[in-house]
Amino acid sequence: MIEAIAFYGMAAVALTGAVLVVSLRNTVHSALALGLSLSGVAGLFACLGADFLFAGQLLIYVGGIAILIVFVVMLLGRTSDLHLRQVNQQWAAALLVCAITGAGLWRLGGLYRHASALVPAAATTRAIGLLMLGDYAVPFEVISLVLLAALLGAVFFSRKDIS
Amino acid sequence: MSLGHYLVLGAALFLIGLFGALTRRNVIGILMSIELMFNAANINLAAFNHYLHPAGVGGMTVALFIITVAAAEVVVGLALVLAIYRNSATAYVEDFHLLKG
Repeated sequence: MIEAIAFYGMAAVALTGAVLVVSLRNTVHSALALGLSLSGVAGLFACLGADFLFAGQLLIYVGGIAILIVFVVMLLGRTSDLHLRQVNQQWAAALLVCAITGAGLWRLGGLYRHASALVPAAATTRAIGLLMLGDYAVPFEVISLVLLAALLGAVFFSRKDIS
Repeated sequence: MSLGHYLVLGAALFLIGLFGALTRRNVIGILMSIELMFNAANINLAAFNHYLHPAGVGGMTVALFIITVAAAEVVVGLALVLAIYRNSATAYVEDFHLLKG
């Protein structure tokens, strides 16, 4: 019972935030709604027993990416943006694409519709650490290279004078 | 709660993100919609891990990698947006036509 309440509450938060992200006209409000939606997704991770993922989602997404996006929105914004249309005129075609994709996802998901949890969730941090330094050691090192490259790329592209 | 609930939720979040990425004019709005799609994929990974392979943590580990790649993507994307904005003073994607023939 309490599991259902938690799931539906967090799902409502995540979906409401997502709808606000794509529909609000003011980009600052949109970025704040993104933070709300990401927090809802973090709650869903908690419902799924993924404790380390929950913490990582809150630290990296809500505390890092959402704040970074808010900063850039405030750097780029102009007052006149508040009176401009924020969506293009292709919404009918976009709805069609979404409907086709949704139908495909529905058929794929139908294969797994009735699976339910067998064992209660346990702490995962130790297992994730062992996996990352064991079987996933090479991807773990490669992802650190990706982060280094992203850091250098961000510094390079945001320099004042690219000569 | 069954796996189907989480799959439907992930699909809904993905479709909202897809709709936003296709219809927003502001390039930051498109980036935010792409973040929503990443999150939908992460929900699916964690749910499959929890329901189909509860003894392992492979799905959560891959979701962590996805979070890392998303962070790298959004950092480089925002730096590019700032660089473009400095040159063309616009954040609307239909005005980005420098490479158009």
